[in-house]
Amino acid sequence: MREYTERIREAAKRLLSEQRVDTVIGFRRGTVPFMNEPFLVKSVDQVDQLYWDSNCGINLANYLPKRTDRVAVVAKGCDSRNIVVHLLENQIKRDQLYILGAPCRGMVDKRRMMADLKGKEPLHAEENGKEIKVSGRGFQVTFDRQTYLQSNCAICTHRNPVVYDELLGDPVEEQQGVDRYPDVRRIEAMSVDERWRYFQELIAPCIRCYACRNACPLCYCPTCFVDESRPQWVGKTIDPTDTLTFHFLRAYHVAGRCTDCGSCERACPVGIEVRKFTKKLEKEVKELYGYEAGVTPDQRPPLDTFKPGDPEPFIK
Amino acid sequence: MSEWEPKIVAFLCNWCSYGAADLAGVSRLQYPANIRIIRVPCSGRVNPKFILAAFRSGADGVWVSGCHPGDCHYIEGNLYARRKFALLNSQLEYTGIVEPGRLHFSWISSAEATKFAEVARGVIDAVKAAGPARHFIKKQAEVA
Amino acid sequence: MSDIYISRGKFPEIIGQLMARYRVYAPVLKGEYHEFAKIEKTEEADLGYQNTRLSPKGLFHPHAERMFEYSLVKDDPQAGILKEAPKDFSPRVVLGIRPCDAKAFQLDDVNFDTTAYQDPWWVRRRQTTTLIGLACNEPCGTCFCTSLGTGPFDTAGLDVLLVDTGEGYTAQVLTQKGKDVVGITSGWESVSRTVSEKMEGLRKSAEDSLGRQFDFDPIKQKDMLELFNASFWDEVQFACINCGTCTFLCPTCWCFDIQDEVWGDKGDRIRLWDSCMFPLFTFHGSGHNPRSQKLQRVRQRFMHKLKYYPDKYHNGAACVGCGRCVKFCPVNIDIREVVRRMSATCVCPA
Repeated sequence: MREYTERIREAAKRLLSEQRVDTVIGFRRGTVPFMNEPFLVKSVDQVDQLYWDSNCGINLANYLPKRTDRVAVVAKGCDSRNIVVHLLENQIKRDQLYILGAPCRGMVDKRRMMADLKGKEPLHAEENGKEIKVSGRGFQVTFDRQTYLQSNCAICTHRNPVVYDELLGDPVEEQQGVDRYPDVRRIEAMSVDERWRYFQELIAPCIRCYACRNACPLCYCPTCFVDESRPQWVGKTIDPTDTLTFHFLRAYHVAGRCTDCGSCERACPVGIEVRKFTKKLEKEVKELYGYEAGVTPDQRPPLDTFKPGDPEPFIK
Repeated sequence: MSEWEPKIVAFLCNWCSYGAADLAGVSRLQYPANIRIIRVPCSGRVNPKFILAAFRSGADGVWVSGCHPGDCHYIEGNLYARRKFALLNSQLEYTGIVEPGRLHFSWISSAEATKFAEVARGVIDAVKAAGPARHFIKKQAEVA
Repeated sequence: MSDIYISRGKFPEIIGQLMARYRVYAPVLKGEYHEFAKIEKTEEADLGYQNTRLSPKGLFHPHAERMFEYSLVKDDPQAGILKEAPKDFSPRVVLGIRPCDAKAFQLDDVNFDTTAYQDPWWVRRRQTTTLIGLACNEPCGTCFCTSLGTGPFDTAGLDVLLVDTGEGYTAQVLTQKGKDVVGITSGWESVSRTVSEKMEGLRKSAEDSLGRQFDFDPIKQKDMLELFNASFWDEVQFACINCGTCTFLCPTCWCFDIQDEVWGDKGDRIRLWDSCMFPLFTFHGSGHNPRSQKLQRVRQRFMHKLKYYPDKYHNGAACVGCGRCVKFCPVNIDIREVVRRMSATCVCPA
């Protein structure tokens, strides 16, 4: 994926000097292994800081709502789907945007590589095609990129951007025959008490930093329900009931809008698999309403519309 | 648990189900007194937060009832609500917050007093079968 | 008191002796990361750790802490009267804390323990806790303590400093509290010349591996408003998503909020961590928010640590270089880069 770096720089330079856009949103190289920093380019002399590799998992669509300038943005498949959601929800106008589509082979999961390093600290990481070479004090390891994909990337079925103004490379082959919901079915098969315990344990490490919420492009409400105080729906302590209320409602708020970009899970400092909440909703939305978020620019999100014959087996 | 009586919070839409409750009363139809009614303008007004808040505060069951599809006073409020509730219902069970039998939805018009009393009895029986709420109740915060 | 030594094999006995007299908190492996927790068995303490993910500030300033309890029962004559929530203040030992984190408590003392005001819970916990530090032989790649006036073998804020010399630990006893704690343990030997040379070598290699990563001094000389109005904040803040990761993981972030929680006819007054990254942090009752913009909040965090605090307390920066925020920031905002920008010679106004 490194080859995109040059393409992004070239496009940014061109768009800025031709005054097609005012700013470019991309990534610059991170200061620690497996991390890159979202970066706003305002002038041509900053263009060479733009960078791309397999650690660009943060969703750049998160930086678009309420922007007033003409902006170019680098978008992977999932980012582009979130741009579609933004367009549907009037968060930004299409003619403000210049989308640099990045056909994507998936981003790598920092946490799993760290786990396999078993406490050894990576000091340098270099990506080379299908391999990631990691080194630290007295060790060098090579990780296979494909094996260490983020769990959402491994089951991704929209690797190519769904909207774009230009592509940074040839479209990649979409993954076929992917089973997106084995984990959801595993949880569904549990008894209700097991499910309760499962989710209690899942969220136990939560420190209520709201990184999952804030890394999500869909969370742009002027006042989040968490911050409402009259009435206060969610207690602010780390009490398990309150933490579960937060995670439940956060997931529910993104129902039918979530593109499974994995930003929430990537951002979590304590490694909670928060997608366990959102994936069930994604499955339900697909089964009940045949809707996939951010794929079609002319179809309203499922909770923003209805059909007279919607299924209602649960209603007396 | 012979002495235990469940507490059930019912969100009833002003135009249909609340009218049905009224008519059930006027018609002297009998159903047990486990239901605390909260009148809402429309079933579409029922925010998932309300339902969670009811359970958090210790409700053993929650019942939401509105107009039949097509009869909404606001034309389509209950049709939006239906989609919301479908996802909410499955997600609440999926996360184990609510066991089967605690959360109920119905469409009852203001003329259906008999249906109201019947559904009320059904809801109460189901909640009784589920037993006292045990999972999702906010008590004293577990803090240092 | 001169340094003493104990072999690795005998060290668990020391922990056992401590546990007989104190509540002992030590780094315990939970999942993939270590965390300070009360140990029930000597083998739970894992001193082979780099550092904990969450700073140990929670031992003195818990994430959420019940301050008072009250009753709302109508006929109760005690109704509405705040009563201090019972807590365990029996003596305890924090074993294996890193020098940076111990230093952080000293920096936080200026907030919780002043001549004008003393926070009862912080002060009592500080008084009844003995800190047995563990020097860092192999600092992380994200550490920069030496650039902010502390170091991997720094003794500030500690009662005892342990150094892992391979076959055993040396202990440097620093305070009366340290003496008391070491006094109840037995099995120590005097430090041999080889061990003491080895210790010196470890200290030097640890300090050298960190080096001096930036020059903090120019920030002290700079005009506050010049820094406040600097144009680089715009670039620094862009990536920030305004989550609370950095502030919650930070050992020197002490800000808190107070909430009343009522259930049934009882209530609690709870103090909990707050974060200057959250929009609610400065939200006024009037509806006005003096820090409504992300830029203002990001700037506040760095200015507080690196300019306001040093200017107010003449106590150095409110940062000990533990590197947690660098390691765990979801969008890779690196405080070391921010310091470099703040101390650069030309900070031109926007």
